[in-house]
Amino acid sequence: MSVKIEASEGGMDHNTMLGIGLIGALVCIYLVYLNTLMSTEVFAFFGGIAAIIALWWGTDSIKNLCSYGLGTGVPSAGMIALGSGVVAMLFATKLAGINPLLVPVGCVVVAAILGAILGFISDKVLNMNIPVMTRMIAELTVVGSLTMLGFTAMVAGTFSFGDLITSTTSVLGVELASYASSVIGGCVLATIFMLGAIAIQHPFNACLGPNESWDRTQMCAIECGALSMIGVAVMSLAFLSLPAVVISFVISIILWGWSYSELIKLSKRDAFAWLDSQPIREVGGEQ
Amino acid sequence: MSALGGGSAGGEGINPAASLVALVIVLASVGIAYALYPAALIPLIGVIIGGMLISFGVHFVPVGGAPAAMGQAPGIATGVAMLAAGGGLAGLFGGAWAAEMGLWVALGAGAVGGGLLMAITCLMVNVVYVYSMGIPAASGKVDKDPITGDTYDGYRSQGTEGHGLPFISYVGGVIGGTLAGLGGTLIYLELLAVYEEALPTVLGMTPEGMSTLAVSLAGIFAVGMFLVAAVLTAYNITGTIEGPHDPKFKRWPRAVIGSSAACAACGLVAILLVVI
Repeated sequence: MSVKIEASEGGMDHNTMLGIGLIGALVCIYLVYLNTLMSTEVFAFFGGIAAIIALWWGTDSIKNLCSYGLGTGVPSAGMIALGSGVVAMLFATKLAGINPLLVPVGCVVVAAILGAILGFISDKVLNMNIPVMTRMIAELTVVGSLTMLGFTAMVAGTFSFGDLITSTTSVLGVELASYASSVIGGCVLATIFMLGAIAIQHPFNACLGPNESWDRTQMCAIECGALSMIGVAVMSLAFLSLPAVVISFVISIILWGWSYSELIKLSKRDAFAWLDSQPIREVGGEQ
Repeated sequence: MSALGGGSAGGEGINPAASLVALVIVLASVGIAYALYPAALIPLIGVIIGGMLISFGVHFVPVGGAPAAMGQAPGIATGVAMLAAGGGLAGLFGGAWAAEMGLWVALGAGAVGGGLLMAITCLMVNVVYVYSMGIPAASGKVDKDPITGDTYDGYRSQGTEGHGLPFISYVGGVIGGTLAGLGGTLIYLELLAVYEEALPTVLGMTPEGMSTLAVSLAGIFAVGMFLVAAVLTAYNITGTIEGPHDPKFKRWPRAVIGSSAACAACGLVAILLVVI
């Protein structure tokens, strides 16, 4: 069994973060459903906020998992999270055929089952023997699927499979249904996949080290999520009306600007003590 | 090379009870798929075989990680997940491009694509090692190359585990890329067959529009499953491996068992998409 190394002291309890992340992301994804209820598209940006909340929670899960020596670096955890998350998320969108409100909850349930299987395999079958592994891989799969679902809802303004595979294009004034230019048919999902994967891999990978601090890592997660949200807002131009895209874009720019300036402040706070650092002197060395 | 400097985990040997549970997961997934959608039985078995090929193939790839970047360990200087994703996805794209030309041509294209990417990567890695870093190729695990018979003893620097990319590692990298590309393409083709057959009836749409949809669904699922199998294998290797001559290579059975269970579960969910 490997030894746990405390990454950073203080900060919020992980179970509290799990609660906030899970409920916050679910509520925000459900708010996207207002689009369908009120026949509008302006609530699409809630999908991006759901993804940021999920990423905020997932960064702490990655930190918990990687406190034990994985041997392969931090990004691999993000890859498995999104790789299994996209499978669960696409399956869940199909549940909209039964009831659209089932999608976000179904996404969490399917992802948790898949993640528990993957966690069990890595912990027991591969003999990793890390106490938190099953739980953290399951959490990361849920985070991956919620991130995908959030960004997909943001780009399409909806999260039901039927709407994700069709889009209407107007040719010479005639409305035509097209599969190729839809969210799934155009494989916008692949871009969302990488935007989500980068956002979940990067924060802890960038901030880890001897003076890692909880608030800086979490702020970096929000910053990465907001940066991906800007990309998703630009992509939604192909699927949503202009006012909805402008709202999404402005909100993501504001979120990113705020989180980036906060991150720089926190980085300066953590870095100030090192400004005056001297070269390490070796006592009894060969000078 | 753990991120935080902790000792890497991963004991030797196979855990019999857990492996049995993994096999039960495989059988249960196949059973559920057969009960709910009998036509998907063969494709699901194909997906599982694809996952096993990826997992076995990744063990051949010489992964050096951060120590290799500093010339202190042999192999390509990045992590397992990144290398496997590079080699396997190149294969997957190659195979997907040839998907219309029949199963065997597509599988061959996928294998050649993955192997070619690894061959080019290994060649350029050695060019950088030899001509820019000025280090010779020397294995840390064996004194004599199993293929060429070159001796490494006199070239290995003190305090390192070897450096550069020895011939046996190069061969391992190409074999690994080939197998991983083959596995990724197999997953893609099997899922594509399921979706092309089932989507028109399930969604009631015209076959013209359907092909793009089937391609992108199968593609994104194949990428997801590929990454799952590759990362599980990376966890099995725990860090660095030199190639087929490395003692860690003997760990492959448990990664193959684990990846088959993981791909069975993910493949089942992907196939159930057309059932509900």
